[in-house]
Amino acid sequence: MKQVIHLKAFGMIAEKIGTAELELENPGTLAALGETLRGRFPDLQSAKFGFAINKKLLQGDAEIPAGAEVALLPPFSGG
Amino acid sequence: MDKVRTPKNIFVQGAISPDAIAKSIANHSGKTDIGGHSIFLGQVRADEKPEGKVVAIDYTAYEEMALEKAFEIREAIFAKYPLTCMHIYHSLGEVKVGELCLFVFTSSKHRKAAMDACDELVERIKAELPVWGKEILDTEGHVWKVNV
Repeated sequence: MKQVIHLKAFGMIAEKIGTAELELENPGTLAALGETLRGRFPDLQSAKFGFAINKKLLQGDAEIPAGAEVALLPPFSGG
Repeated sequence: MDKVRTPKNIFVQGAISPDAIAKSIANHSGKTDIGGHSIFLGQVRADEKPEGKVVAIDYTAYEEMALEKAFEIREAIFAKYPLTCMHIYHSLGEVKVGELCLFVFTSSKHRKAAMDACDELVERIKAELPVWGKEILDTEGHVWKVNV
């Protein structure tokens, strides 16, 4: 059975991929997800963004649990 | 017994009104152990960008995460400084130039704790909350705000 993850994109990243929500097959780690996304959306090649898994900031080799909500977060600019 | 604090909403739709700020100040008149308040107000600036002049900022947030993070920051600041009160309000949606988008309000027995806590809160809010500002330009385009 394929594992699905739920992506939420914000700010400039949502603009570049053309949607705020997306479902993908789980690529395993955040690093792999970054590669998948950059392959699928060439506009992301030059974009800076971080990840949150289930609302916690995580990086690179972090594993993505089944059914996770993964957020794509461009640099924060509140205030 | 210590009061148990729970996450509360910090987001306000649109600009923060000066009236709401005045009311918030007035609400503290009964708390007579307070000796000093510190307030920071963020206002939308009419920046000149190469692509045009900023006329408004449209704020969006990863709200659930931002509220969790704001609560975490709030608890840390309460643990670090002897504060009586702390209030944080941030705009979502469109805020025009000259209008207020951030209201941070700390109160303490003495001024130093209130001022230092307010300063640290503003820095942490800007650096750690997943909030984004889209700067709307008079040329009808937009650029994404960058915090310095």
